[in-house]
Amino acid sequence: MSAKEVYHHRKLKCGAEFAALEMPGRRTASYQIRFLTGLVDEPADKLGIAGIVEETIGKGTEKRTAQQLSDAFDAIGAQAGSGVGRESIVFRCNCLPEYIGEALALHAEMLRTPVFPQEFCEVAVDLGLQELKAIEDDPSELASRIMAPRAYGDVLGRHELGTAETLETITRDDIAGFWKRNFTISRVQVSVGGAVDVNAFADQFEGLMGDLGRNGATPPSEYSLKFSPGAHHHHKEAEQQQILMCWPGVAITDPEYATERVMLGVLGGGMSSRLFTEVREKQGLVYWVGAWDEHPRGHGMIFLGASTTPARCDQTIKTLLREVERLGEDLTEEELERAKVGIIAKTQTHGDITRSRVSELSADVYQFGRPVSTEEKNAMVTAVTTDGIRNYLATHPRDRRCVVTLGPRAMEGATS
Amino acid sequence: MKDGNGSGFVEHRLANGLKIVIEPMPHAHSAAGGFLVRTGARDEVPELAGVSHFLEHMCFKGTKKRDWKQITNDFDDMGSTYNAFTSKERTVYFGWVRVEDLEKQLELLADMMQSVVPAEEFEMEKKVILEEIAMSDDSMERKVYDLIHDALYKGHPLSWPVLGTTDSITRLSRDELYGYFTDRYHPANMILIVSGAVEPAAVIKMAERICGDWQSKSPRPDRLKPKPVMRGVTKKVIERFQRQAVALIHPAPSAVHKDRDNADVLASILGGQNSRFFWNIIQTGVAPQVAAGRLDYCDDGMMLAYGFIEPDRCDELLEAMRTEIARIVKDGVTEDEVQRVKNRSRTSLASESEAPYYRLMQMIQDIDDFDRPRSVTERLADLDAVTPATIRSYLERWPLTSDGAIVSLGPRDWPS
Repeated sequence: MSAKEVYHHRKLKCGAEFAALEMPGRRTASYQIRFLTGLVDEPADKLGIAGIVEETIGKGTEKRTAQQLSDAFDAIGAQAGSGVGRESIVFRCNCLPEYIGEALALHAEMLRTPVFPQEFCEVAVDLGLQELKAIEDDPSELASRIMAPRAYGDVLGRHELGTAETLETITRDDIAGFWKRNFTISRVQVSVGGAVDVNAFADQFEGLMGDLGRNGATPPSEYSLKFSPGAHHHHKEAEQQQILMCWPGVAITDPEYATERVMLGVLGGGMSSRLFTEVREKQGLVYWVGAWDEHPRGHGMIFLGASTTPARCDQTIKTLLREVERLGEDLTEEELERAKVGIIAKTQTHGDITRSRVSELSADVYQFGRPVSTEEKNAMVTAVTTDGIRNYLATHPRDRRCVVTLGPRAMEGATS
Repeated sequence: MKDGNGSGFVEHRLANGLKIVIEPMPHAHSAAGGFLVRTGARDEVPELAGVSHFLEHMCFKGTKKRDWKQITNDFDDMGSTYNAFTSKERTVYFGWVRVEDLEKQLELLADMMQSVVPAEEFEMEKKVILEEIAMSDDSMERKVYDLIHDALYKGHPLSWPVLGTTDSITRLSRDELYGYFTDRYHPANMILIVSGAVEPAAVIKMAERICGDWQSKSPRPDRLKPKPVMRGVTKKVIERFQRQAVALIHPAPSAVHKDRDNADVLASILGGQNSRFFWNIIQTGVAPQVAAGRLDYCDDGMMLAYGFIEPDRCDELLEAMRTEIARIVKDGVTEDEVQRVKNRSRTSLASESEAPYYRLMQMIQDIDDFDRPRSVTERLADLDAVTPATIRSYLERWPLTSDGAIVSLGPRDWPS
């Protein structure tokens, strides 16, 4: 067994929130720099700009060209990546422990002194327009794009690629303006873990990044989740129909979240789960079926999804809905324990991967405002009971749901 | 870098011929185990196309001791991360669990390898496979992968789709499937592979207990060496797609050829991360998705340059890929380019050596390809032997100077 893991969490003098997990003996180190800005901060006439900023911020600094910057990360074997979310933009890095300081210095240079070269800004917009068309070739992604505004509303339900009309208008000035307004140190959460001196990392971070966005930053946007129940069909020529449905769940910070999590495990957690068993194994209706949750900050949304050939779509939808309702009637202790073990065991197996642990730490700080130990989370899961799940189902009705189907045939069973 | 193993690999052969390969990873908290079955789509006869993959599904459907429900319950009772996959050359069943559950995991996997292929589940699973084929038909990437194999290996078993076709699966009988199972699933064609925080002697004892009474038969018939046609044009018009897939294909080393690392480094420099394709094709706005890579089999390989583009710009993409290939053939690669690939790989290997699941997957590939595992150190040493000079001499042995084969799929009848 490795040495004891220790969590750290504090506000740095510069205003950034810092969290760390010491994991002595690990072979890698990993960090995530999360900016509390994302699709929700996009101007309504510039949708897609957050993704363009994330794409172009690494295309050159005051000291290095785009290629020199990429080469510098590669020179130390640092695996740098990034992603745009509804409410945050994350820059991450996984590297050998001895290079974490150099990697952080490169990230700081990239995030503090981007020059957004005109030619790369234009290319990013061009590529974004092409990617928008490419979504038409990905039925699953297209269904998600159609579902998001219905699940979350026009602001929180935005898509990373925006729309063709808004993308086309995005200029270099817009890009630099978004960065200047939203990339400020007071909106940063940084999480680090692995075989690393976490306090030295915190000091280095503060020294390198502490003055970011001191001038020109604006407060975060105000927005709310707007759920729109109902059924929507999008016609598309394809072999299969895509089925997506959702209804509001609870926030990760809600005391009932562990109950909801275990319920989702019973519903869609493994091949023995209710959906896999009833939709696939007993009726052969699908190859893919699933249940999962998504969590904008302070909210929760539960999703069911499946894809099937058009003639079997109605039966698939009926079975999905029936299984959710049935859960409140005949849930067994055996299923409950199985779902709990599924969650708890994976914290131990997947916990062997350093970057996964850091990713989880970053997500916990984002959602809870503090690190949450594996033990604490597992204790909440252990405490869930069948009565708790029945009570959850009784007090969180599913009758106001949103259903999206995509494919060659409109669905009868889609309406609630 | 330290190895993925603390005390090295342990190999053992049971009296019935079943080979066992174990990599102890004392730093890990989990363990992974799997059966490699050395049979895949290329080992089928045309009238049974898809039987290997169908059988992979059926192994989850019942044994003398367990019905399908018990199999999935038992996996999920351990909280296992488990699955199976079938490729052109192999079928793999695996589970990743807490160390204390390894024996139960191996017993369950071994029981599945003694499937009764239950007749009563056969027609239901056929429906699931037909849905999987329909889902695959909606994936442009999957369609072009199949078209490439059909173009290059026409008439050879490597051209059969792994899933089979709607016709071949519809025709397939349970008895044909069972015959294939009894012919291939026995110690002469199977290897048990285990990685993680385990004691090799204990694992061998487990294997004796759970697999010791298996009867061996004749190994799988020898494979027919392919004679690929790497020239000419193959195209398929599918109007419902928005983009056109364009692939340019040249000969490349097989999975076991000593030139494989040279080929992979070259492909990475040409069309991987931070590559020439990235900077000179993607970042000039030609298309968002352009890459190069090697596909390999035990006796053949191909170097693929490919991209997805707006249909009216196919010529532009093909010309851009050819220009980059011509430049690399003429001028070779630089020391810096080779070193960058090595640095990235070093971090990837360190990260993967943290978790038994990743090491299991690497061992499966190496054991199937080379008949022995390779340590992380050996993998790095093979990579370190690559230099600009070795790539230059590689390009003399594996020239990219011919027109190559062109494969096109999408709404446009291109090239005309």
